[in-house]
Amino acid sequence: MTIKRLLIVVAALAHLGFLAVLGASYFIGLKQASTWPPAGEEIAEKDVPKVERNVQQLEKRMGGLLPKGPYIVIDTAENRLFVKNGDKVLREAVVSCGSGVVLEEPGGKKRSWVFDTPRGEFAVKSKITNPYWVKPDWAFIEEGEAIPRGLEDRIEAGTLGDYALGFGQGYFIHGTLYTRLLGRNVTHGCVRVGDEDLKFVFKAVSIGSKIYIY
Amino acid sequence: MKKLAAIMALLAAGLAGPGWTGGADTAALAKKQSSLSAEYNLAKDSKFYFVFDVLGRKLELRVRGMVLRTWPLRSMRFWGRPDFAGTVELVKKTALKAPERIVIKPGEAEEAPATAAPAPAAKPAASGTAAPPAEFDLEALELKDMPRRFELDFDNGLHVIVKAKGGAASGLGARLRDAWRWYVGMPLRNLFGREEGAGTSQLELVFDEEKDAQSIYWHFFDGIKGIVL
Repeated sequence: MTIKRLLIVVAALAHLGFLAVLGASYFIGLKQASTWPPAGEEIAEKDVPKVERNVQQLEKRMGGLLPKGPYIVIDTAENRLFVKNGDKVLREAVVSCGSGVVLEEPGGKKRSWVFDTPRGEFAVKSKITNPYWVKPDWAFIEEGEAIPRGLEDRIEAGTLGDYALGFGQGYFIHGTLYTRLLGRNVTHGCVRVGDEDLKFVFKAVSIGSKIYIY
Repeated sequence: MKKLAAIMALLAAGLAGPGWTGGADTAALAKKQSSLSAEYNLAKDSKFYFVFDVLGRKLELRVRGMVLRTWPLRSMRFWGRPDFAGTVELVKKTALKAPERIVIKPGEAEEAPATAAPAPAAKPAASGTAAPPAEFDLEALELKDMPRRFELDFDNGLHVIVKAKGGAASGLGARLRDAWRWYVGMPLRNLFGREEGAGTSQLELVFDEEKDAQSIYWHFFDGIKGIVL
């Protein structure tokens, strides 16, 4: 780079002016770009079979990382859920994921909740038929209601649809009454699915099946 | 005479860089081995990672070797040192107007949150073909709220500008600024701006749909690792 800079200065001194300097920088820029893509390291002819075996092994290992059996993929940006088996898409459903809203508790405790659908690799931990919702504190705070002391005052039936699949930390894939909002980010972190799709998902996957949420 | 000397100097400057190398087949095999090895190291972990295939002109989000999402590039341009390939980590995501979360403080808000409002239930969606999502504003952070143009900085110094076709510089002033930055500012910065051995590497990726750029912003979180092929 030092030599190049020196040469550019020479060019400038030769009264070629700004355009020449710019031209030079283009020339060098194009020269740099011409080295793309960088060549891989050289392999000696005798090492080629060994490298080929290594590549095959790596491909096999990569294949071993894929989930076995049906699994669920959820795109939180597009609000889509896919049930897949290998590369095959068994079902695509429009769903609702987390709203990303922050709820702040007024008053003394000052707790806060972020309503995001968690992203990452999960597994189906529970499968529940006719689930009921045990309303957490935030559900009452959000409604401006007092938080009840008894468990029975927190239970709400019918809200979660016919089935629920738990994937940890209180998050579920469940049904919804608000089918009009499917396709929008409206939930508190759970994934809401329409009735027919939910039935399919519930039947297709088993406990331990992988869930990828991105 | 001076002019001739200057032109010779410029030509020499250009020719001073590295040239093409031979042994294409074995080099390709070596490259395949190194890219597979790099990907396996990322795929062993349960975290998402991306693969940016420069020659294949596509960006992919992957986990465990599976492709979750592919964003085909409409076009791409580049300035600077091309040796930015390999495993990289996103250290900073910058947007002119980054999306902000809506904060609800019950008792202070004028309206109840949309999530709490009991929307009238529509007909149940037919299997796999749910009705198009309702078009109204919600108190939520959605894909449409993501920026259409933003910048990504990686740990190896690679700087990437992501934008959608026609979605970045709309006015004449903005277009001129953009052109000046790319056609004048960048080449000069590439030449003079940095220390030896740590030159600029700037990629500009243009996508067909605004949604593509927005979803990249959504899915690329700080710390995400990836491979540039």
